[in-house]
Amino acid sequence: MLIWSTAAPAIGAAFLASVVEVVEAFTIVLAAATLRGWRPAALGTGAALAVLASAVLLLGPLLNQVPLHALQFAIGVLLLLMGMSWLRKACLRSAGVIPLHDEDAIFAAETAQLDGAARRHDARLDWIAGMTALKGVLLEGLEVVFIVIAVGAGGGLLLPASIGALLACALVLVVGMFVHRPLSLVPENTLKFGVGVMLSAFGVFWTGEGLGLDWPGQDLALLLFVAIFLGAGLAGTAIARSAAMEVAR
Amino acid sequence: MTLLKEVAAELIGMFFGDARVTLALLLLIAVSAALIELSGLDPLVGGTVLALGCPVLLIANVRRQKHPIAAAIRSAA
Repeated sequence: MLIWSTAAPAIGAAFLASVVEVVEAFTIVLAAATLRGWRPAALGTGAALAVLASAVLLLGPLLNQVPLHALQFAIGVLLLLMGMSWLRKACLRSAGVIPLHDEDAIFAAETAQLDGAARRHDARLDWIAGMTALKGVLLEGLEVVFIVIAVGAGGGLLLPASIGALLACALVLVVGMFVHRPLSLVPENTLKFGVGVMLSAFGVFWTGEGLGLDWPGQDLALLLFVAIFLGAGLAGTAIARSAAMEVAR
Repeated sequence: MTLLKEVAAELIGMFFGDARVTLALLLLIAVSAALIELSGLDPLVGGTVLALGCPVLLIANVRRQKHPIAAAIRSAA
């Protein structure tokens, strides 16, 4: 039976992380499509999705062979590393210490790069556009696949996490097809902050479970960890921002 | 080959973004595991160290980062 206190954060983390990654992949696919039409871009995207789906189909059954505690521990450690990295970067971006991710600038850079390649190798341009789309979707999709597996596999929540990721893909595709430009208005850093909080919370939870710890309140402990990391993230952002204000004074 | 290298770089970058945070986190996890498995204390002590140690690490790391404006002013001075 689905326990919503665990399933909701899993679906939410998979959905939000996927929105961030799919928006980034969409920018690259759009750049390829703008230059050479949708056919090579769609072929590259389809090939990348096939590679990702194959990876999931190959890895999925293997995960069932790993003892549950070992799986929870390994996934917990990886989630902590990834979640803390996202949260740290989101804090620093929010405070202006490192620049924000700019989809318009990435779109312009990708288009310029493809344009340069077009001048050098006109006959192979479809191939270059297709490979660009393939690479973009594959690299961004890897993170989505890991997050879905990580937040889903430890607690038998692969299906809800996959649904969260698929909903994000559908949402970005529909909005992207409608506006037909990079989705630069998506508050990417805020989403990354939220995902970092959730992945870190899951990381602590699964690492503890993997070590044989029974958290008080069981799944509800996740909510406490979310609150702790949210507070730490907000405090971290405020500390980094106060350094900037001191300089301004 | 280039694509494979980029995939490998992406995978490594996913988990090891900042060397200091990564090392500190792995150390914290090792300490928590030792407290839970070896110390004979209540396992929740190890769990609490893990749950509170991670946010402390995050804040300490963010605090260490030099703001680019401050760095520029210092280097100009």
